[in-house]
Amino acid sequence: METVESNLSNISSDYSGFKQLIDFYAQNKIYHLKNIHIDMASVLWFDANMCAPFGAILYKLSRRLNTITLHNIDPKVENILSKNGFLANYGHTQKPDTYDTTIEYKRFEPKDGRYFGVYIEKELVGKGIPKMSSGLTKKFRESIFELFSNSVIHSETIYGIFSCGQFFPRKKRLDFSICDLGIGFKNNIKKKCGLDLKPEKAIAWAMEGKNTTKTDNIPGGLGLKLLKEFITKNSGRIQIISDHGYWEFNPKEKIRESTFSSLFPGTAVNIEINTADSKSYYLKSEIDPKEIF
Amino acid sequence: MKDKITISVFEIVGNGFCVASEDGQKIFDQVKTAFKAAQNVDISFKNVTSLTSAFLNTSIGQLYSSFDEAFVREHLSVSDLETDDLFLLKRVVETAKEYFKNPARIDKVLKEENLE
Repeated sequence: METVESNLSNISSDYSGFKQLIDFYAQNKIYHLKNIHIDMASVLWFDANMCAPFGAILYKLSRRLNTITLHNIDPKVENILSKNGFLANYGHTQKPDTYDTTIEYKRFEPKDGRYFGVYIEKELVGKGIPKMSSGLTKKFRESIFELFSNSVIHSETIYGIFSCGQFFPRKKRLDFSICDLGIGFKNNIKKKCGLDLKPEKAIAWAMEGKNTTKTDNIPGGLGLKLLKEFITKNSGRIQIISDHGYWEFNPKEKIRESTFSSLFPGTAVNIEINTADSKSYYLKSEIDPKEIF
Repeated sequence: MKDKITISVFEIVGNGFCVASEDGQKIFDQVKTAFKAAQNVDISFKNVTSLTSAFLNTSIGQLYSSFDEAFVREHLSVSDLETDDLFLLKRVVETAKEYFKNPARIDKVLKEENLE
């Protein structure tokens, strides 16, 4: 088999990190039955949660019967990507996570909602994430479940759903990424609502008001709004990458939208939460269950 | 109208992770059948640890596609929900009522039910 060479440099959870992964995909997506040799010598930093979009891209390339290998990995990067189980997919040995700061890299089938729930419970309990209040942990967990449900309902993915997270103790931040290899926001909105929006505008549309692509007898459209409300209160951050679009929200700088020259073959959502947040997420006001309906 | 029956979400889903839309569908099917048999229904969330809007949209929001507001209000109750989950359910219900204000959506549901 012919070998093709690629390389990457530092990968952070930001526009440039996603751009690198997207450019890497654009270079390699044409290949079939090749050895794709990735030179990691210039990667001195890799935000571990970015294993989810990277793993999704590599999975799509390997489904075209390409063999992926990663070479010249910096020892620190190798250590992190071995602890979270990512490199185990590419012939490396998995290492124990002694500091308990990783949320393991996993791929799920859309029907695996229950296993995903067990995974999140297991990964958030007993980790080195001790300072999160129980209310914050519950909200974070539910936000992740909303994202998983969104992928299942909207993405039409046949390649599964990829997830990974990383706790950064010094920054008191926890990043979690979830990706699918589905049709993306733009195509979903065009297909269901007939709206032909630019990719980043399609993401913005889905995050606003009562907008939903649901047309059947099950209502929808709340999950992403709940996530945005939670991230606003927590002073966290959301990044959504779908098709050629990049959309980022953080309550201080508000919204940033950009376009990539090539496409991400699905949707990636990264949420970053402030783990030192001591606000109460338990509502003090009461609601009469009889008044709900 | 007969006595109230209790539907245990934990029992039907099989655990406390009420996350997936397809699990919500199991609750919806039970409630719909009970409503058609003119039963009052209480949905108990005892031992439920995680809820999503996707689950509640399917299990409860979807009821407004088949039954009007007054009927649901008269015949449905919920129990064992924490306050923040009650607020989530309230938003799901408000979203569902708004969603089904569009007559085209109701027509679509009725057509699908006639085809079943």
